[in-house]
Amino acid sequence: MNENVPGEPIIVVDNVFKTFPGGVCALSDFSIRVRRKEVLVVIGPSGSGKSTFLRCLNGLEEVEKGSITIDGIPLNDHKQNRLEIRKEVGMVFQSFNLFPHLTVLENLNLAQILVRKKSKGEATEFSMALLSKVGIPEKANIFPNHLSGGQQQRVAIARALAMMPKVMLFDEATSALDPEMTGEVLAVMKQLAREGMTMVVVTHEMGFAREVSDRIVFMEGGRIIEEGPVEQFFTNPREERTRLFLSQVL
Amino acid sequence: MSFIKAGRYSRRSPIVDVAAFLLLMAALTWITGTETSKLGYNWQWYRVPQYLFSYEDGKWLAGPLIDGLIVTFEITGASFILAFSFGLISALCRLSESYMARMIARAYLELIRNTPLLVQLFFIYFVMAPIFDLGRFASAVLSLSLFEGAYASEIFRAGIVSIHKGQWEAAQSLGLSTFDTYRRVILPQAIRRILPPLTSQAISLVKDSALVSTIAVYDLTMRGREIISETFLAFEIWFTIAAIYLVVTVSLSIVAGRMERRFGEIG
Repeated sequence: MNENVPGEPIIVVDNVFKTFPGGVCALSDFSIRVRRKEVLVVIGPSGSGKSTFLRCLNGLEEVEKGSITIDGIPLNDHKQNRLEIRKEVGMVFQSFNLFPHLTVLENLNLAQILVRKKSKGEATEFSMALLSKVGIPEKANIFPNHLSGGQQQRVAIARALAMMPKVMLFDEATSALDPEMTGEVLAVMKQLAREGMTMVVVTHEMGFAREVSDRIVFMEGGRIIEEGPVEQFFTNPREERTRLFLSQVL
Repeated sequence: MSFIKAGRYSRRSPIVDVAAFLLLMAALTWITGTETSKLGYNWQWYRVPQYLFSYEDGKWLAGPLIDGLIVTFEITGASFILAFSFGLISALCRLSESYMARMIARAYLELIRNTPLLVQLFFIYFVMAPIFDLGRFASAVLSLSLFEGAYASEIFRAGIVSIHKGQWEAAQSLGLSTFDTYRRVILPQAIRRILPPLTSQAISLVKDSALVSTIAVYDLTMRGREIISETFLAFEIWFTIAAIYLVVTVSLSIVAGRMERRFGEIG
């Protein structure tokens, strides 16, 4: 499989069902393909299943039925497969989830050393490069609690990038931030998109969606209501439900 | 973590507080004093120091009480390490995905917590020890560590489940194995939180170790009983022994307090 051909699907999701205990249906016959270097933005009202979809992609949630394949590796009961997929898929959470007992640098180094089996020197070198990229190399030896929310989220992005993932998942990465800090995190995400990272982004930032995404998916009730290229989606949505949603958020 | 100060209520002056306390203590001492003199007890504190230290041929020698204290330390130390391991292992078993592991850990916990330590000690010493050829010291350490391990297990479990789910998710999304996640992410944070309850468990261990005197392990309490049976200095020796235990346990809490503060700065 040639990695550098854009357009070829890297994420293949077929007929996935997921029900939470208590009978809440999070994903219902959900299918989607994400191509290499594509930036896919997923929007929808809360409880529509968009976070669940994202969390299924790296095995944080188990699917009941259906199949997920990432970069040719099927995500199934095999522990080894799940581990391989997690190496290839980076995830950024709404609540950052940095490790509070480790410094910023140690946060970035941890998985490189334990999972990628790098030496401490190699890991540190790469980590420092990533911290420069997200604009906070001077915070390397500080504990995460001493950083602002925006800085913490940028560290979290750098930590995910440290694994050199082929796909990055963003689960409402800016929802816990002040508007002021949202900008600095979105800037990093935009830069990643420009560099050709395959991204699946769950967000409420319609500006970001409009500016960066290649394709938009609108979800409700665990299903895709509408999907399409950005311009068409915002200017001329086909579905009435999409129109209603857009009129409320725009 | 910070302590809440009762800001709204004006606090009593410490001088009044201390004076009231001293007055109460003086009254209690006086009552105890008159009652003991009614007993006709002949206090002989001057005979106690020889059981702590003796000076012979230009050298200081440890007396039987200090020898006993060393045995108490050995038992407590060995039991603490074992109890820590039992506690951690059974906590991990209770949180594991294996049904059998969960059941075994649960059975261990219920069995130990719902029978008296003294009975467990006798059971191990009189029943298990002859079968497995265990000595008195080993029996003592085994029963103490099994007992405290059950309580430590609940402390560990509480500490582990108190760590936010997001920490697990972050570690797993980075591809860390369950083992590495525990070792490098969850436990370092959990240990910090459980240090205070774990210390009080260690203090309980020091105190409970006195029970091993019942199977003739020559710990501090056993030495004391021995001295009393020879000298009838019951009051003086029991006071001394209580004081020694107190010094050990209070020192432990001070050390734990320091560690907690140091960890707290990072967390």
